Amino acid sequence: MHDSEPDTFTQISKREEFCGLLEKIGVQAEVKQIDTDEVEKGDYYSKHFTNTPAMVTNHGCVKLRGSNIDIVQIIQKG
Amino acid sequence: MSEDLNSQPWGAQDRFQAHFIVKTGGQIFDAEFLAKTKLKTKGHFATKKVAGVVWVGGNIGETLNSDSDLTNMMVKLPYKDAQIWIEPTRNGIRIHGSWKSSYEFGISKELFAVYDKVASHVKRALGSPPV
Repeated sequence: MHDSEPDTFTQISKREEFCGLLEKIGVQAEVKQIDTDEVEKGDYYSKHFTNTPAMVTNHGCVKLRGSNIDIVQIIQKG
Repeated sequence: MSEDLNSQPWGAQDRFQAHFIVKTGGQIFDAEFLAKTKLKTKGHFATKKVAGVVWVGGNIGETLNSDSDLTNMMVKLPYKDAQIWIEPTRNGIRIHGSWKSSYEFGISKELFAVYDKVASHVKRALGSPPV
């Protein structure tokens, strides 16, 4: 192990990680509890494009404030 | 026993996407909010750069093509980030990029500005004032 590496780490979810990145670039963002937003309930793709995946995993949402985007959903393939 | 040369990956893969969603309040839209970028490029491999952007798809594509500020912002993006899709779903209009590994997965100020600008056009087309 390299000396500069910490001995411990905090395990964070993908949406918490993405929320941190948004806050770093000056976007007001707030992590939502998984499976609490209506966008997580329906289809995630319109299925009009050929690259639509057959199976995806929902990693939850990040709510934005002061932006034209209402919410960001993190999705993993497979 | 022969080796399976076309083995299929199973389970979640190291490929992530962030969907930037403009909510529609249950209203269902179809082809008018369907669009994707078609990029004009220069250079190859690592030096591949975006030289021009054309949106193809429904009415929203025509609106985005007429925004020269958006095109200027997009030609400054890396090639992979400039590939953007707009898809209408039951709960909102989704704007997203291509799949990225956990190392590449992130957001820059410039990329967010492009998504926000696209979302402003979507909002205007939905009849709500952009922020």
